[in-house]
Amino acid sequence: MPERGALTLIFVAALVATVPLFAGDFWVSLTIKILVLGLLALSVDLLLGHAGLLSLCHAAFFAMSAYTVAILQVRYGVPMLIAVPAGLAMGTLLALVFGVSVRTRGVYFILVTIALGFIVWGVTYRWASFTGGDNGITNVPYPAIGDFQITSMTAYFYVVLLVVLGCVLAYRTLVRSPFGLVLRGLKSSESRMRSLGYSPLRHLYVAFVLSGFMASLAGVLYIYFNRFVNPATAHFHISVEAVLMAILGGTGTILGPFLGSVVIMVLRNWVSGFFPYYMTLMGLVFIVTVLFAPNGIIGLVNSWRARRARRAKTTDAVGTEPEAQPRPQP
Amino acid sequence: MSFIIQTINGLSLAALLFLLSAGFTLTFGLMRVVNLAHGALYLIGGYVGLSVVWTTDNFWLGIVAGGFFVVVLAALIDRFLIRPTGENHLAQVLLTVGVAIVIADIALAIWGGDNLRVPTPEMLRGPIFLPGDIIYPRYRFVLILFGLAAAVIMWVLYRRTQIGAIVRAGVDDREMASALGININLLFALVFAVGAFLAGVAGVVGGAFLTLYPGVEWEILILALVVVIVGGLGSLEGAIVGSVIVGLIDAYGRWLMPEMSYFVIFAPMAVLLLVRPTGIFGQEH
Repeated sequence: MPERGALTLIFVAALVATVPLFAGDFWVSLTIKILVLGLLALSVDLLLGHAGLLSLCHAAFFAMSAYTVAILQVRYGVPMLIAVPAGLAMGTLLALVFGVSVRTRGVYFILVTIALGFIVWGVTYRWASFTGGDNGITNVPYPAIGDFQITSMTAYFYVVLLVVLGCVLAYRTLVRSPFGLVLRGLKSSESRMRSLGYSPLRHLYVAFVLSGFMASLAGVLYIYFNRFVNPATAHFHISVEAVLMAILGGTGTILGPFLGSVVIMVLRNWVSGFFPYYMTLMGLVFIVTVLFAPNGIIGLVNSWRARRARRAKTTDAVGTEPEAQPRPQP
Repeated sequence: MSFIIQTINGLSLAALLFLLSAGFTLTFGLMRVVNLAHGALYLIGGYVGLSVVWTTDNFWLGIVAGGFFVVVLAALIDRFLIRPTGENHLAQVLLTVGVAIVIADIALAIWGGDNLRVPTPEMLRGPIFLPGDIIYPRYRFVLILFGLAAAVIMWVLYRRTQIGAIVRAGVDDREMASALGININLLFALVFAVGAFLAGVAGVVGGAFLTLYPGVEWEILILALVVVIVGGLGSLEGAIVGSVIVGLIDAYGRWLMPEMSYFVIFAPMAVLLLVRPTGIFGQEH
């Protein structure tokens, strides 16, 4: 029996599904970007919100799968049915390698992931004979299985929505499983979990690889939308943006990263049309979020609801159950 | 022959990397603050120095101005943004990323997106003739001497003087040092200022041969990160050794396999992570 949380997600997805009915192509394409980068942010949040590890290299997995698909399709004419699994495999393989970073903790982990992420950027940028260098790879074909081709934006929008919804439901099962509990246990006290017999290294490594797989999936969705990839896709800024989305929305939640994605993408695609200092604005959003709303939008809503519930309780004594306290900041 | 030239190339990059990573690593060692805006401080220091050189035609004034401008800027960032986060290192990392983005965007608005080179004074221009018929740019050769001098001065200060002993005490055990009557806040401010000054100086010095452009703040920060990861976070000796290792590997990498040069720098880092996650001189934190 699906309970309230799952129903909420399906309800939100149904709402999002109505976007093409009343909005033009600009908003449909913006919604696709929001969903795809929201998925990337969600993959970052598996590590950040649950395991307490801040990874700044997720653009690497994202770009790795996007580049793999683009190169296979454009340069070798490989059909989508093979290019997509290959892209996912390459992104996940990269995560298997970069997973060594879970040997480190805290700030060291952050620094190591930044450095690892830059390898991929450096390769896409400098290995010009293979990756196209700064120009990237253009003219990626429309997604197609055999003769069936998806060329309309709206059709691809529904593909993205379905994949993201499926991914979100799987993610939800994952974080509510014993595995997710172990991750959160590791976040609050690694030594205690170790003394209970859990292997931190093994669990964090698996979480890292799963997270890398999700980021690769976002990369595949992205390449068939954008149909063009260049080193900017692998840049540190994308990793940073994904983390910002997760924190801005609220870490440790499912809707949070997508909410953050809505805010950032609207800033980037709409506000930047009339305000040239988009990057400054993003930096300021970053600073303000960290200083004043470390639990993000969902954290703000929760604490506001908790306050209201307390007030209701004191006035009419028969108050509702107090809301859960906001999560401690990451 | 080209091996020797590449070695000198690597050492001159190492000199620059040392200026940058010394401040980064000491700031972390003492305050546990990971300042990811360090690259942006390099960038803005370089740009300010450049403007000063343009207007006064004095390279040395440019270096000093770049350094001091960054000290003031870093003090403001520290006082109003980093301190309020207290001991939350994760928040600090994110905060300094935001600061770096803002600084870089403002720099882009003021100095534009072109590659700008800080003009060097007459006495540092032209080639230098080294033994063995090696002709090498004088500026980069002098930079090696400059980096070497900075490393020696820093090391002597750190290991052989009273103030160095106080800093080391602070790195080892902050509470104990403060209980012994050391003004820990003053010490923090001092070390932070020195680190920021070196970053600003590095910006001007590096801008004269690597040029300044949007994006260099992350490229140079990454190299400094690899230095401190290899050398060990919080260790001055680690910064020295790490700079030399990374500088040389980068030079040889660019020479032998230019398309894979980025990859080559990170290989020793990955190996080291497997063998010794804390770096060569690092300790568990």
